[in-house]
Amino acid sequence: MSLTLLQGALLVFVLCCAVGAALLKDTLAAVIAFAAYSLGISIIWLVLQAPDVGLTEAAVGAGIMTILFILALANTVTPETDRLFEPIRWRTVLFVGAFVVALGATVPSLPAIGDPTAPVAGGEITQYYLEHAYKETQVKNAVTAVLAAYRGFDTLGEAVVVFSAGVVALSVLRREVFA
Amino acid sequence: MSADEEPGLYVESTIIMTTVRVVAPFVLTFALFIMFHGADTPGGGFQGGVIAGSVVMMLAFAYGIDSTRQWLDVRVVAALASGGVLVFAGIGLGAIALGGNFLQYNEYLPYYAKASKYGIELVELGIGGIVAAVAIGLFFLLAAGFGHVVGEGER
Repeated sequence: MSLTLLQGALLVFVLCCAVGAALLKDTLAAVIAFAAYSLGISIIWLVLQAPDVGLTEAAVGAGIMTILFILALANTVTPETDRLFEPIRWRTVLFVGAFVVALGATVPSLPAIGDPTAPVAGGEITQYYLEHAYKETQVKNAVTAVLAAYRGFDTLGEAVVVFSAGVVALSVLRREVFA
Repeated sequence: MSADEEPGLYVESTIIMTTVRVVAPFVLTFALFIMFHGADTPGGGFQGGVIAGSVVMMLAFAYGIDSTRQWLDVRVVAALASGGVLVFAGIGLGAIALGGNFLQYNEYLPYYAKASKYGIELVELGIGGIVAAVAIGLFFLLAAGFGHVVGEGER
C-alpha cells in the first residue's frame, strides 16, 4: 500500500492534532487541536472518496462540537497553569499503545483502497444497491437512497434519537433557556 | 442571569456584525442546498441541519447570545424539531395507509409522478429540521449554563 504525498501529509497532521488534543494542558488549546483533527479527518474522508462522511465530520466534528466545547469552557473556570503539556502517565501510554498495536495488526489484512475485488465492493448487496438504487428510488446519490429508502426505518430511529436527546437535555438540564 | 451579561463574553464588533449579516443568507442557502440536493450529491438532512443550526450560532456570536435567544421564537424551534419527526413518520405511515410498507415511496406514485425522489427530499428536510432545532437548543442550553442553584448569589 503506497501513500500519496497528500495522504501522508494529512495522516501526519491528523496524528499530531490527536496527540496534541490528548496532551495539551490548556483546555482551549486542546479543543482547537481537536477541531483541527476533525477537519483533517474530514479531508481524509474526502480523499478516500467518502464525501458524505466527510461533510458530516466537517459540520459536526469540526463545527458544532467545537462551538459547544468552547461554550462549555466559557461557563467553567480553568485553573491557571504554566505547563504546556499534561504529565504523561506511562501506564495509560502502555495501554493505549497496546490497543493501537492490536488495531494496527489488522490493517495489512484489509483490501487495498479501491480494490475492485474487495468483498464490500464486489459483494452482492453493494452491487444490488448500485444497480437498482436509481431505478427504484429516483435519487442519484446511492448513499441517500440507502439512508432514506432502503434503510429508512433505521434513519427514522436515528432522527428520533436526536430529537429525544434534545428534548431530554433541554427539559432535564434547564427548562427556561428560551424564557 | 445569562452568560453574555458577564463582562468579556460578548463584545459588540461592527466587523463581525457586518460579516455575519452578509454571510448568513449564503450559509442558510448552502444548508438548504445540502438538504435538498442531498438526493443527488453528497449531503442530506443531518449535515444540512447542522449547517442551518450554525446560522443561528453565527447570529448569536455577532449580536449576543441573549438578544438572539429573545429574537428567536421558541415555538419556531420546537415546531422545527417536532415537525421534522411528524413529516418523517407521516410519510412512512402514509405509505402504510395506502396499502404499502413503511416508507414505500412508490405508493404515492398515483398522486405524484416523482413520488420517490420528492418523498426522500421531504424526509431529508424533516431530518434537517430536527437536527437544526436540537443543535440550536443545545447551543442556547450550554450558553445559559446549567450550574444554577436556586438562590445562588452573583456568578
